[in-house]
Amino acid sequence: MNKHGKLLEVQDIQKNYGKKNNITKALKGVSFDILPGEFLGIMGPSGSGKTTLLNCIATIIKPTSGRVLLNGKNISAFDSKDLADYRGSRIGYLFQDFALLDNLTGQENILLPLSIHGVDFAKAQTKLNELAGFLEIKDVLDKFPAQMSGGQKQRVAAARSLISDPDIVLADEPTGALDTRSAKMLMNKLEEIHKNSKRTILMVSHDPNATSFCSRILFIQDGVIFHELRRKHDESQEKFYERILQLLAQLGGGSANVL
Amino acid sequence: MFSRLIYRNAKRSRKENLIYFATLVTAVASFYIILSLGRQDVILFLKEFESDAIDKLLAYMPIVYLFALFLLFFLTLFANRYQLNRRGKEFGLYLMLGMRKERLVLQLVAEGIVTSVLALIGGILIGGFLAEIISLTVSKLVGQGIIGHQISLSISAIIMTVIGFLFIQSLALVILGGRLFHQEVHQLLYEQMDKIQDMGHLRGNIFHLLAGAVLLAIAYWLILYHFMDFGGLLLFVAFVLGCLGTIIFMRGFGRLLGILTSLSERKSTKGLRTFTLRQFQENIANKSASVAITSILITLSIILLADGASIFIGLENTFARSSSVYDFTVNGNDQEVEQFLTSEKMVPYVEDLNFLEIGHMKEQGERGENDMPLSLVDWSELREQLIMVLPDSYKEQFLSGEVQGYTISSENPEALNLLGTLEIDTKAPYLIPESSYNGLLKTIGEKPLNLQSDEMALYFNPDFMSMDNLDSFPVLDQILEVAEDNGKSLLHINDQAIYIRPFLPMKGLAADRSIEITSAFIVPDAMFKQLLNEETYASYWNFRIPQKLQDEQGLMLPMMESRDILKSSGFEFESYLQNFGRKLFYVVAGSYATLYMGFIFLIIACTVLALQFLTQMKQTGKRYVTLSMLGANRKQMKKSMHRQVMLTFLLPMSIASVSGAVGIKAMISFVMVNVDDQGQLYPVAFAFAALVIAILVIYGVAVTRSADHEIDKLRWKPDID
Repeated sequence: MNKHGKLLEVQDIQKNYGKKNNITKALKGVSFDILPGEFLGIMGPSGSGKTTLLNCIATIIKPTSGRVLLNGKNISAFDSKDLADYRGSRIGYLFQDFALLDNLTGQENILLPLSIHGVDFAKAQTKLNELAGFLEIKDVLDKFPAQMSGGQKQRVAAARSLISDPDIVLADEPTGALDTRSAKMLMNKLEEIHKNSKRTILMVSHDPNATSFCSRILFIQDGVIFHELRRKHDESQEKFYERILQLLAQLGGGSANVL
Repeated sequence: MFSRLIYRNAKRSRKENLIYFATLVTAVASFYIILSLGRQDVILFLKEFESDAIDKLLAYMPIVYLFALFLLFFLTLFANRYQLNRRGKEFGLYLMLGMRKERLVLQLVAEGIVTSVLALIGGILIGGFLAEIISLTVSKLVGQGIIGHQISLSISAIIMTVIGFLFIQSLALVILGGRLFHQEVHQLLYEQMDKIQDMGHLRGNIFHLLAGAVLLAIAYWLILYHFMDFGGLLLFVAFVLGCLGTIIFMRGFGRLLGILTSLSERKSTKGLRTFTLRQFQENIANKSASVAITSILITLSIILLADGASIFIGLENTFARSSSVYDFTVNGNDQEVEQFLTSEKMVPYVEDLNFLEIGHMKEQGERGENDMPLSLVDWSELREQLIMVLPDSYKEQFLSGEVQGYTISSENPEALNLLGTLEIDTKAPYLIPESSYNGLLKTIGEKPLNLQSDEMALYFNPDFMSMDNLDSFPVLDQILEVAEDNGKSLLHINDQAIYIRPFLPMKGLAADRSIEITSAFIVPDAMFKQLLNEETYASYWNFRIPQKLQDEQGLMLPMMESRDILKSSGFEFESYLQNFGRKLFYVVAGSYATLYMGFIFLIIACTVLALQFLTQMKQTGKRYVTLSMLGANRKQMKKSMHRQVMLTFLLPMSIASVSGAVGIKAMISFVMVNVDDQGQLYPVAFAFAALVIAILVIYGVAVTRSADHEIDKLRWKPDID
């Protein structure tokens, strides 16, 4: 953590695609900070640049200009070796398609980031039990992904993103492939993790249902952040959800149209 | 537009998939090599002496061709299937864009033709080059300078290669195209993977593993200890058991790898160990049958290559003169032949000219109980002496009259072979006058016999006695020596006591092996005339190529020249060349066939392993993306992949090594009598083992490079910069 108490600083990020005569500006200077223990949501319509923004933060693509500081370190300038050290250990990922390895059991999938980074996971056994218990996946630890339901798969993926105690978890449409019930369960668990262990989570989503669990939401359109919603201290999730819908309606006639 | 697409796709197939293209080229090259066999220098050379045998061999070529066609068909089928699987997504896209399925299949065939034509050009060039090298190498090894080199290019071979290859290639494409035709677009667009991780039950898997091991053990036992029982039937049983055992063993092994993986998890696991093992397990468990088959193919190829190599070692024996002394045997009117052989044009080629007379001994006037004529020879005392020196086990059989027939074999004691030979031959033994044999003795630098009128010598043809040491009979010589010292006669002819001279040097009587004389009595000239059965009299002129000429020009050239002169004379003659040619024929035919099959099996096995691995790699490419997101760097992933390649090749290879070693051991002890000196075998065996490993390594490296390329191509999400 740096001296200002900010975990992640995104400073004037620009990202251009294409060559000289045909440049698409995906991000036109985006800046925001994430404080430790925040649960930040990013919403925006297709083509708004939200996935590009997440990918820049996730170090999958390099921004054309601007910096991404994680604990004061400019991770957008890291080379691939330093990046590999960060991925999976300092940054955890959660994806729409789960990205589990289907020839590994649940437990093997969860422990994979540790073994990649050469961590002796005899010590991680307690952590594994704790996470598995909390995410209710104890009975699928020895199963292969093909034998799990979608919700179980995503919770196994969540356990994998948390096993190495990352500074931040980046989630890209984590509920996108789940039915309503599984989605709600997953979001409840994420919210609980955020509240109980002060885990910092950054989530990109279309779904107002999912983002209503966040503590703050940034709205992005055409490569710029144009609005911000903060969940009030004791505002319930349902209330916050209604506020999000309201905003979306004001912005342009319903979420189906805009987001 | 359409033709450009075809051209570009074909080009991409070759570029992106070197293994696919190389497999096609290999198939073409191996067709060409087998088809152009008739144009090889050695075969052309052999045609002059052994035209019958060569014609017979070449008449078998269509069968070999069909067999090769059959095997290579599977190779191309597999390679094409891999290639089409790779491109499933692309085909799905074409269909989505409105291309009709008929058109897609047509396009595939067109692409196949472009690729095939290029594979044909490459394959025929490489095949032609290899055939040329084989031709030159073999003629150099064999011919010692007398086999002239001719370019082995054969138009008919090229035509047959083109026809055969296009046939199997289009057959494979039609089959695969048909399958493609029936697939749904969705199946093509979203590659289907064997998602179900069915690992069976622990007990079932252990049972498989054990059952497989037991079947293999039985097969090994049968091969090692009952190789020849029931006329080779057990060999077949052992082969079937071995195949079954390998398949079942692989099945159990692949699945039990899972347990191995979870065991290793208990300890600290660093890096991608678990992932590597799981990938390997998936590759083996889901495809245990084809992995087992590659293992069997490698086993066969090891055995065939070793066999081919041992036949090739036999090549040296072909040059060894063994017991034969003379280079030519001529027969015809005695005086005319002598005149011709001492004539001016033959003299430079003739040395040690010797006149060999031979004929059977007369029989007694009276007839025996079974109406067979009775022999003049009574050798009961010699027989008794020989029985006395037999090892105990044989002696009992002999005395109790159990022995019914004799086989002459190098594994029998000397006395038993002698007994067997004499038992048959003494009824009417061959007679050779002392003067004829003295000529032979003079040729090999020995003293003449100078037999007394009541003396003779026993001759055994070393070529037929299958002995370790060609020209000595220690047991016989000892018996004869003792008898001589005691002045005792062991043999009577026509009731006259005859003394046998010991220590007779024995060599082949003539150049021609068709004069089959197993044993003979060498008697004084007077006795020869007296005992000879006139009807069986035969005479031959034998001579050698002068040593000086051999030193100057080698043996073969003067032999060929004198053969041409003799041919013009009209006399019947045989030369050592025929012998040489006959032996050479077996060596060449045998080693060509086995080595060829060995290599084909090996290449098929390697291709199957390689393509199978790359297919899995392609299908599971996304896993590497996930790994990189979890922080694995390229180096780690490549290391894991290299391990997977190594394990994939090592597993079938290791079982094949054991099975191959057992097979070779059995062949050495039961079949390969042509390897006299086993010490010779080891360097060659090692050389061929190294060759097998080298080929596997080449394939392994090729696979690794392709897979490395795939990993380098990995992008998490398209990064356009």
